[in-house]
Order: sequence, then structure tokens, then C-alpha cells
Amino acid sequence: MENLAVAVQTSDVSLWGLFWQAGFIVKLVMIGLLGASIWTWAIIIDKVLGYGRAKRAFDRFEQIFWSGQSLEELYRNLGDKRTTGMGSIFIAAMREWKKSFEKGARSPIALQMRIDKAMDVALSRESDILAARLGFLATIGSAGPFIGLFGTVIGIMTSFMGIAGSKSTSLAVVAPGIAEALLATAIGLVAAIPAVIAYNKLSSDAGKLTARMESFADEFSAILSRQIDEKLAPRS
Amino acid sequence: MRTSVTSSAIIHAVLLGWGLLSFSSPKPMDLANSESLPIEIISDTSQLQKGDTKAPKAEKATPKPTEKPQTKQDAQIIGDAETDVETKPIPTTKPKVVEAAEAPKQSDVPAVKPDPKPELQPETKPVPVLATEIAPQAKPKQDVAPDPITAAINDSKPAPTPDAPKAEPTPQAEKPAEEAFKLPENVAKPEDKPKPAQAQTATTPERKEVKETPKPTKTAPTPSKEKNGIADQVADLLNREKASGGGAKRSTDQASLGATKSTGGSKLSNSEIEQVRALIQGNWNKPVGAQDYPDMIVRVQFRLNQDGSIDGAPEVSGSGGDPTLLRTAIEGARRAVLKSLPFNLPQDKYQDWAKNDYTFHPGAED
Repeated sequence: MENLAVAVQTSDVSLWGLFWQAGFIVKLVMIGLLGASIWTWAIIIDKVLGYGRAKRAFDRFEQIFWSGQSLEELYRNLGDKRTTGMGSIFIAAMREWKKSFEKGARSPIALQMRIDKAMDVALSRESDILAARLGFLATIGSAGPFIGLFGTVIGIMTSFMGIAGSKSTSLAVVAPGIAEALLATAIGLVAAIPAVIAYNKLSSDAGKLTARMESFADEFSAILSRQIDEKLAPRS
Repeated sequence: MRTSVTSSAIIHAVLLGWGLLSFSSPKPMDLANSESLPIEIISDTSQLQKGDTKAPKAEKATPKPTEKPQTKQDAQIIGDAETDVETKPIPTTKPKVVEAAEAPKQSDVPAVKPDPKPELQPETKPVPVLATEIAPQAKPKQDVAPDPITAAINDSKPAPTPDAPKAEPTPQAEKPAEEAFKLPENVAKPEDKPKPAQAQTATTPERKEVKETPKPTKTAPTPSKEKNGIADQVADLLNREKASGGGAKRSTDQASLGATKSTGGSKLSNSEIEQVRALIQGNWNKPVGAQDYPDMIVRVQFRLNQDGSIDGAPEVSGSGGDPTLLRTAIEGARRAVLKSLPFNLPQDKYQDWAKNDYTFHPGAED
């Protein structure tokens, strides 16, 4: 049988061979998808590590915050450090508090509003940082298969044109073209599947962290509101 | 971010490298071991063979051998029995006539003839198929009836004879019963195989009597249908015929499950034929300019030995095209066949590839 098998024209069907024989557009699609896959995994790694760090930082900060340490002291300790998450919210609120008292604040309601605003701004900035680049995962997750499919369609078109040109319907003529075309879809799926899974996981993680920051901001706002009452009540 | 980008790139590079290595040389499909698509089924001679699932595996799939039913001579005496018996066998299937079921009772009343044996009437069974079929002719010859009836009355007294039960099917059958005394063959045959033609052609007075009998049954259906229409319509629709079954799967070999390949058969599959053809074409240096003669035909015939070597010399003939070019093409084809030796074809299909005949179009093919 080997004798007969040789009769069929052999073509390079290794992974590299398939890529190399592919047309320009298919090649472009494959390279683009490969790049997208690399970037997707970079984001996934970055986010997983970053969320782990953020969670540990929140735990540590809450521990210090509720340890009974005075807010002034905490502010002084944190003030000169680079802070993230809850720390940033705390610093933003304390800075506003300090500024207002240095200038001699009179209206407790206005002061409360200013502090809340400052915390809101800090909160939105922090949650933006947490959710940054997750959109890319969503895009790749939804568009990746389509991009791959586009490459496949182009590839199969080319191989059918090859049939028309060579006037031979032998499977050996068509098979490499179709295999190379399917490789494009395969790469698209390889890029898209982890992206979708990671997007769902990471966005829910980001949501949890943001909710935690929000609840901290509310609690801190309540504490400050009490402080304002205590400080301003005797004067008025 | 940079660390994650680099680590991601490294992971991809590793995976790609692994993919390049593992996919570098895909194993070519082994054509010898792969079962060809059973396209042959479409052709008029199916190669698909069904084995017996309970039997042990063997080289060839063969179904359970079926016993050839013993053919017996037609019963001479009476009834459906395969062998001649003295007493009439009880039929396993109900006779076919449906409408006539009620006929006897109705026909009793208008019947001109008095029934000599009322005790036979109650267990009247439906009239045999024959009865309705030969009815039309029966009518004109009614006048003959009275005589046999009187004879029947006289003859019916010695009823307990083996032939007596035959009178049961119809009240009218009494007369045939009496007939049976004289001519058993004549009566038995119509019951066994309804062949109205025979009965019709008969002109003997005795047979007329036989034909005459169904007359009342013919008239019966109309009143019965009016009486209970739906029930009879349903009865009409019911198919009470015994299923005759399809053809038997026959083989004379021992029952076996068959080998792993069930579509093997003894003929070369299309793909195998194409492979031989492609092999010859590949070894064939087509003469330059053959493309100008698409009508040029080269026919190659050769015999092969079981080991794939050629038996004798290939016979190559050709037609069309330029004579010198054709000669070159024929020579080329001969050399191509010799160059393609030995052919490595499935041994079990040797009978099919012992003689080979291929036709090539050196001008038209690429």
C-alpha cells in the first residue's frame, strides 16, 4: 500500500507549513489573533496578580483602620506612601478634612458634602484602575471567533479557487487549504475561550472589590460625619 | 504589566513550540486499514454483508443459514394442509372474506332451498375467498341447483364421514360437500388455492353446482353494509391476511459475525481503483503535445499474479490523435505499468484485480 500512497502529492501539513502556505489575509488574521492571545493572557496574569494584591492590601488596611489607631496618626503614616484602593479613599477624605479645618470650616453640611465628593472621586478612580483592560478581554471573547472564521472563509475560498484553477477535485488538492483555513478558526477559539472565561471571573472580582471600597467609603463617611458634629457643635 | 506580558509571551512560545513539534508530521492515513466509505452500496451490486451478531468472528460475514423450506406436493384430499391428512385441518388464519360474514344468516331467509341440516348453520364460518370471486358466473346457472339439492338432502345423511366438516364454512357448501363425495379433488382445490379461472372454465354439471353456491353470499354484502356501516367499514379496512414475510437471508456457509471490515466484499473499491490509476499515471511520461489531442484514448490491459507481479506483458492499445504520438503514448503507458510493479493490493480481492483494464485519456488528463 505504501506504493500507492506515494502517488498522492504530499504537501507540508505541519503547523508551520500550514501557516506558511496560507494566503496573506489568512496569515494576517493568524498573526493578529496570536497577538491578541498573548495580550489576553498578559491581562489575565496581570489582573489575577493585581486583584490578589488589592485584596490583601484591603485586608491589611481594614485591620489597621479598625485597630483603634487614631485617624490623624494613620493619615500621617500613609500620607507619604503610595496608596491604592481603600488607602487612597481614606487619604482623599482626610486631605479634604484637613484642608477644611485649616481654613476654618463653618458649615458642617458643606464639609460633609465636600468629603463625600472627594471620596467618590477617589473611589471611581480606584475602581477604574481595577477594571482597566477588562474590556479588551470582552472584545476578544466576542470577536475572536469571528476573526478566526473570517480567516477560515478566506482560506476555504482560496482553496476552492484552487480547485477551479487546477480542475482537479482530488481531496489532496483541497485538504491542505482547508486545514490551513481551519487553523485560523482554531487560533481564534484559542484566543477567545480563555478571554471569555477570564472576563467573567475578573469582572465579578472587580465588582466585589469595588463594593468593598464603597462600603468602606460609606462607613468612613459616617465616622467623619460624627467627628464633624463633635468638632463643630460647641462653636455654633 | 511588563512582567505579565513577557510571561504570557513565554507561555505562548512554549505552547507553539510544542504544537510545532507534535503536529510536525501527521501520520498519513493508512489506506490499507481504513474501511472505505461504503459508496458501493449505491451501485447495483451491494458489497455490504450482514453477519450474524451471535456467531464468532470469521474472515467473511455470513448470516445464519436458512433452511430451505421443504416443498411438499399439493395436498390431494382437502384443506390447506401441507400433507395429505384424513381430517380437515383447522385453518390458522381466518378466511379473507369480510362482508360475507353475515351473509349466511341473511341468505337463509331468502334462500329458495330449504336447508336440510339446520344444525350446521349456527357455526357458519366466513365464506372462502373463492366464493365471492366466482360469483358472477353463478347467477345464470341457477336453474341447475334444485336437482343437486334434492340429491344433497338424500346424500347428506351419511354426514359423519371425514368430509362432513367441510360443510361448515357455508351453508351453501353443503352442496360442494356432497360433491366431494364424488370428486374430492375438484372441491379441495378451490379451497386451497383460489383459482377462479379453473373453476370458471369447468363446464361439467357438477362444477356448475359448485359455482352456483356463492350466489347468496354475493347478494348478502349490500344489506349487511346498510345494517352496521361503520363496523363493516372498519372490518373492511382491517387486513387479516397473514404476513407473507420478505425474502430470506440465505447463505450456505456457517453463520459468522464477519471480520472487522464489513464492506470489503471481493471487489476493489473505487478509491483503490483510483489509486492504481493514479500510480500508473504518475509513472507515465506523457508525450509532449498530447494535450493537443484530447480525444486520444489509451487502453491498458494486464494480468497480475497474486504477489502483485505482472503475468505476461501488458496489452496496450490506443486510438485517436496523431499516429506517432499515439505510438509514443502507448509505449509510455506500457512502461508506466511495468514501472508501477508490483501492485500492492488487498489479497482478499485478488479475483477482482487479477485482470485489469484501464482506459486513459493522455490528452485530457493533467
